Order: sequence, then C-alpha cells, then structure tokens
Amino acid sequence: MTISFILNGEDVTVGIRSGDRLAPILRHHFGLLGVQTDCLHGVCGRCLIFLNGSLVPSCMVPAFRARGGEIITIEGFSQTEEYRDIVDGFRQAGLETCGFCETGKILAAAALLEKRPRPVPEEILVAFSSVSCRCSDPDLLVKGVQAAAELRAGRLYRRARQ
Amino acid sequence: MAGSDKPQDTAKTDLEDMELNGMVYVATVRSPIARGKILSIIPPVLPPGYRIILPQDIPGENHIVSFGTEVPILASGSVSYLGEPLALIAGPDSVRAASFAAAVQIDYEAEEPLLNWESFSSGQVLAKRVAVVGDPDLAFSIARQALESTFTTGSIEHYYSEPQGALACFDYDKFAIWCATQWPYHVRDSVALVLGCKASEVAVRPTRLGVHLDGKLWYPSLLACHAALAAYLCRRPAKILLQRREDFLYTPKRASSSISLRAAVDPNGRLSAIDARIAVNVGAYGPLAEETLSQICLAATGVYSCPNVRIEGYAVTTNTPPMGAFGGLGAGQAFFAIESEAARLAQFLGEDPLDWKSRNVLKKGSRLITGEVLKDDTKYDEIASKLALASDYRRKYACYELVRKRRTDRYDGPMRGIGFSFAYQSAGVFFSGGDSNVYTVEASLDKDLHLVIKTSAAASSESVRRIWCETASAAVDIPPESVSIAPPDTDRSPNSGPLTLSRGITVINRLVERVCTAIQKKRFRDPLPLTARAVYRLPKPVRWEEGHVSGQPLEGAAWGGAVVEVELDPWTLEIRPVGVWICADGGRIVAPARAEASLRVAAASAVSLCLRERLPAESEHISDESFFEYGILGANELPPIHVELLQGDKRDESKGIGELPFNTVPAAFLAALSQAAGMAFHTIPVQPADLAAPAAEAAGGDAK
Repeated sequence: MTISFILNGEDVTVGIRSGDRLAPILRHHFGLLGVQTDCLHGVCGRCLIFLNGSLVPSCMVPAFRARGGEIITIEGFSQTEEYRDIVDGFRQAGLETCGFCETGKILAAAALLEKRPRPVPEEILVAFSSVSCRCSDPDLLVKGVQAAAELRAGRLYRRARQ
Repeated sequence: MAGSDKPQDTAKTDLEDMELNGMVYVATVRSPIARGKILSIIPPVLPPGYRIILPQDIPGENHIVSFGTEVPILASGSVSYLGEPLALIAGPDSVRAASFAAAVQIDYEAEEPLLNWESFSSGQVLAKRVAVVGDPDLAFSIARQALESTFTTGSIEHYYSEPQGALACFDYDKFAIWCATQWPYHVRDSVALVLGCKASEVAVRPTRLGVHLDGKLWYPSLLACHAALAAYLCRRPAKILLQRREDFLYTPKRASSSISLRAAVDPNGRLSAIDARIAVNVGAYGPLAEETLSQICLAATGVYSCPNVRIEGYAVTTNTPPMGAFGGLGAGQAFFAIESEAARLAQFLGEDPLDWKSRNVLKKGSRLITGEVLKDDTKYDEIASKLALASDYRRKYACYELVRKRRTDRYDGPMRGIGFSFAYQSAGVFFSGGDSNVYTVEASLDKDLHLVIKTSAAASSESVRRIWCETASAAVDIPPESVSIAPPDTDRSPNSGPLTLSRGITVINRLVERVCTAIQKKRFRDPLPLTARAVYRLPKPVRWEEGHVSGQPLEGAAWGGAVVEVELDPWTLEIRPVGVWICADGGRIVAPARAEASLRVAAASAVSLCLRERLPAESEHISDESFFEYGILGANELPPIHVELLQGDKRDESKGIGELPFNTVPAAFLAALSQAAGMAFHTIPVQPADLAAPAAEAAGGDAK
C-alpha cells in the first residue's frame, strides 16, 4: 500500500507492506540516519520521533499509522530554535552523551519542555526513562534540561516583547 | 556516509550509518547446539551475488589470539557454545542474507554441554592461581572467631551503546577495517592472521565507541575477521552489524564468579587469616581467563593487611559464550566478596564496620600478599570520614543496628540499612604481562604551534579527549584549542594498548604529558616541526609461580569508598535505594567536574547491577525472553548519587577512578540490605521475589 504524510515539513509518499514499522522506513527509505534501529522493541529510545506531536518509539509504530499524519525526526527538529535551546542547555550543564542516545535525549527533553516549561527534577528524570542508556549522569541531565528551560523561557519572553 | 566509495574521518561516526557502494552484508550461521560435532553444513540455493563462507575458505589461520588463548573464527568440526559462528552468508541485502543464514541446514551430533562451573572437573580448568602467605592453618586454629561465606555474582550484559560489528574493504594497497573497538591493534593483528597477510597491510580505523564497559575489548576483532573474510572473498566492501537481540544472545558477558571466603580474627579483633577459594566461569575458550583470574585473585584479600593468606583460584571453561571483562577484569567480583565478608565480620564482632576496617586496612608500609611493601597511602581515614560525614553514616548505622536487634518480627518496619565499602582500582596494567603492557604515544608540534597527539587509544568519552588536550596544552604552554587528537588509525598512530581499566587517564594521559614535556624541552632549541614519542612499560609484572605471587600490583592504584543506604517496604518488599555516596582519591584531577560525572555514571550502573540486571543461570541458556526482560534502571529509579573527590597536588599522578563504583557499591549495597532485612545475602541482584520466601517463613507460612 502507499501512504502519504508530512515528514519534517515536506509532503512525502512511500510504498509500504502491512507489517512494516516506521523506523526502518524513515531510516532506509528516507535516509534519516538520526532514526536508529537498535533494540527494535521500544526500549532504547534511539528511534524516537514526534508523530502528530506525540513522542513515540518509531520501531514500535506500524508504518500505516503515519498515513495523513505529521512526523518530525531529529533531522527536522534540529532546524528549530527549541533544538538550539536544548543543545545549548546540555552544553552549559556539561552534559555529555555517548552520541548514540543523543537523538532520544534531545527529543525527550523537547517533549517535556513542551508540556512543562519549568519541569522539576522528578519530572525530568521520568521523561528520560524513555531512553535507556548507561552513558549520562542523572544530575547533569536535570541541570541540562533546567538550563534548556531557562534558555527557552528567555527566548519566548524576548519574542513576546517584540 | 551513505553510498560513498570510502569513509572519511570515522572516529565520530556510528558503524550503523556507514554504507559503501557495492557493499555486501554479512549474516552469521550459528551453531544450534552448545556442544558437539558439526557433521555437515548445507546452504540453501543462493541467488547470484550471495555466497557462503566456510572454514575452508579462510586463507590464513582460523583463529584469533587473545592473551595467548585461541578463539576460532568459524568453528570447524566441534562447537563449544550455542550460537557459535559456523559459517557466514554474504550478499547485497542484509535481510535476505539473514534469512539464507537461518535456512542453512546443519547436521550435528550433540553432546551433553558442560554448564557447571561452581563444581567442575579438572579438564575444565583453563587457568589456576595458588598463593600461600604465612601459615593460614595455624592462624585459623588459634583464631578468636572465624566466619565462612560464599559469595556469587552472575553474568551481566554490557548494554553497550551500539551492537558489535565491523566493516571491511580494500583501500588502495591496504585492507581497511572500521569498527568500534577498545583495542585497534588487536583487530589489526587478528585480521592479518586470518587473511594470512602482513599486519602492516591492514589498517584499522575505529568508529565511535560509546559506552562499552569493556565489552568491546577483544570481540570486535572476531567480527572484524568475519567482515574481512567476506570483503576478501567477495572483492567488495563488507559489513557485519549484529542485531541487538543477536548481540545479547551470543556475545561475551561478565564472567560469573563464586568466591568462598573463610576469614579469622585474632583476640584483638585484627584480621589474622583469609582463605579464599575462587571459581570463575570464563565460558567457551576463555580468552581472558588468565587475566581475569589474576585480577580476581589479587583482589581477593581486598584492602586488608593480613599475615596469613591462602588463595586458590580456577578459571573454568563451560559451554556458554566466552565470558570476561565488565567494567574491569574481575576485581569487582573479588571486592564484592571480601567487603561483604568484612562487613559481616565487623557486625559479628559488634563493631562499626568503619572502625573495624580502619584497624585492618592496608597502610603505607604494609606488606602485600606479593611480599612487596605498599608505597602509597590508601587515605582510608580521610575517605571514610568524608563519607561518614556526608551520609551521616555513624548515626544511621547505630540506629539501624538498634532497630534490627530489637525487631521482634523480621518484617515489622521501619526497615532501613546502611553499608560501607572500600576498594582500589589498579593503575591500568595487565597482570598477565606480555606485549599488552607496552604503550606508546606520539606528538608533533608544527610551525603554526599546532600540536597533534597520536594514539591508537580510541577514547569513548569526549571528556577523556579533552583531558588529553588540556594536559598537552599545559605542558607545551599553548591554548587547548591548538591541540588536536589524530583519528586513532593504526596506520598513523602508535600502539597505545587496549583502552580499559581507565588507561585513558592512568597511562595515556601520563604519556601525553611526558611526550609534550619532551617537546617543550626541545621547543626553543630545535627548529619546528618537532616530533616525540613516549613509551611506557610496566616496571615489575606480577608473577604467579609455585604457590606464591610476586610483583607490585598496587603501584599507582586509586582508592575509594562508597556508602549505600536502602529502605525496604515491609508490605511489598520493594527495595528502595535511598542514597549513594562515593569518595575517591584520584590523585591529580585534571577536570574535577568530569571526574565526578564519570563516577556518578558508573555508580548508576553499579546500582542497576544490584537491583535489576540479571541473566539466567548458566544452566539455562539465555533466551529471547531474557532479552525482552533485561533492562537497566531508568534515570527516575536511581537514588541521589553524591560524589566527593580528594584532590591531590600538582606533583601527584592522575589515577583511574572510573571503575571504583563497580568495586565498592555492590558490597555496600549488600551490607545495607542485610541490615535492613535482618538477614545475610550473598549475591546480587536482589529483588523483592528473593525476599518473599524468607518473608513467608518469618510470617509463619509455608515458604514453598
């Protein structure tokens, strides 16, 4: 079957089979290497994407569910100001990742900040439970997201005043 | 990197992202039995472009060598573990290659697999270590008290950042290999051996390593050989990248251990004798058997000064995948046992473990089991008092002990406990010696005052690379941004040995400092560009011979302690870690914030080992079910982790501390849990289900 959806702001159409999951389609058909196909059972968080505004592990989503929807991957999200806030916040806090889980951590932080602009540490740690990786210091995750929240709030404030 | 003819700089590239034009993908045909003979391998009809690779197709040797032990590339004749590679299928589509590999028909003659390792036959012993110091039998006969316990640790999945894999292709006059490895020169030598070519004809270009916990020490060499064989025989670039499930089921795990300890104290409460019997399951072939056993046996007496010691250790082979390193090479298992035993001894004597350990811990000038004298101070008192202050250990220990003693019903709340442990991390040397203990780093300063450091050590952490840059910058007196690290290509970088046991700090950083100091000395005397090399050799290797051990295993070791507090829910028996406190003496710490972060990261994994991570016992093979069930603790499930560092002065050497939490946290956790539950535990992880039977018994029900 053929499905159409919006991928990182562009209308796209792709042929799929009924059993296909989204992650391999995004990675192999569209060449979006930020979507990794690692655990393939929704645990590692390396294939996280926004589907119609919700953060989902694309390895678990049947491809046909994307029909008519809107998908934002890390490649699309990296063009936004929110992405810059998060990356700068992580850097300010001295947060380092192994590189493999960075997609998941950035998108998990983005989803949290969208819902809770000033998250408390417990909310931040719960948000990162969707990304399973041994690499990051939990304290720095909290500080990184809080720094990102500050940057985001400052940017939104400046925009509102203009 | 998609669809190019040749990858460019790959040190920050994931292997999964690397695709070359005309590449073939390699799938593995695996043994359906754990032990037996392979009679025939019959492939399905393969379409054009696909081929099977069998042992007889290998142009060179059909094995790699790790610490003197041979591991087959493709098992030929007999097999030693379930899932052992028998053949490879290479072809242009990875999914089809995998389906052809699954369709290969294998005729075999199965034998009963050897899965027992705690009791074993002499034929299963791959390595043995015996050391006797003083007269342990006499010491036990006159001891005030003696306590005997057996502590076990199971195998653990590394859960590294990327599954194992490798990519190989011809690159002009070289055979190039890309893979995420801790030991690029081992990959190079292994591929050369298998292809029957000179080592200089192979170039290894490491890809992004990520978190590895020593799971990528030697195994990437095996997969590199698979990819190299396919590339050589198909005359195309070839890539093998295991699926996470396949990686989980068939690659090495942490070696399981069983350590029986008998410890005695004299009338003054001083440790007078230790008798340790150690069995380590090193799985099939045991590529790290010698080294793992040496590290465990040397750490079996822990941090204690003891005049009478008997150590008897065995590395036992079984028909499970090869087992070995995990956040170190075995010392963690030994510290878990001896520190748990020490906590029990102190409790038995009615003393605060902090005080008992203070009286018995090694001090500067103490004699080690090797006969050498400890040259450095362990800083026990300083570390213990900092931890006690930060965690309020003494008050809590006394209170919880009082509650434990007065509790009439074992599961009558509150149920809290606190534990303390102390350990060392050796200075990144292999106790088996050999070429693995020779390391080289090169640096060049060009006319634009730009310094390039060349090392084959593919640091997994950006922090470590920055530390090297900062060290070099300080030594040559140039800005850190004028220092760069060349990609760790074996063609261009000298052999800096395997990157394990925090060698990035203990060895490589020292070499960076030495080589840069040498350049600085010549800088205003000789014309630029200047190039220098620094070589490090282990001064006095540890030797085991005829019942005794010699050498200086603790030279440059880092010392540290941990306190863990836990709470038990009396109704659900859920174990809730309340807090973890770590304190370490890292010598001269170049980047304190990064050192603290690395300790917290390691402590988080160590807590996860205590509470969550469990693989089936060796008698049951790891199944798909275990793959789906296995997991690490999430960030929201971890307790607060507090870290404090003892900062040395500028003259001190930097020490490796990244593995200290694996050596300290498990024993502290066990001591805390034992106090909270009011009963002794001897293994980790401990989960609510493990408490259910004793709880039912205490409540007067039928535990069965």
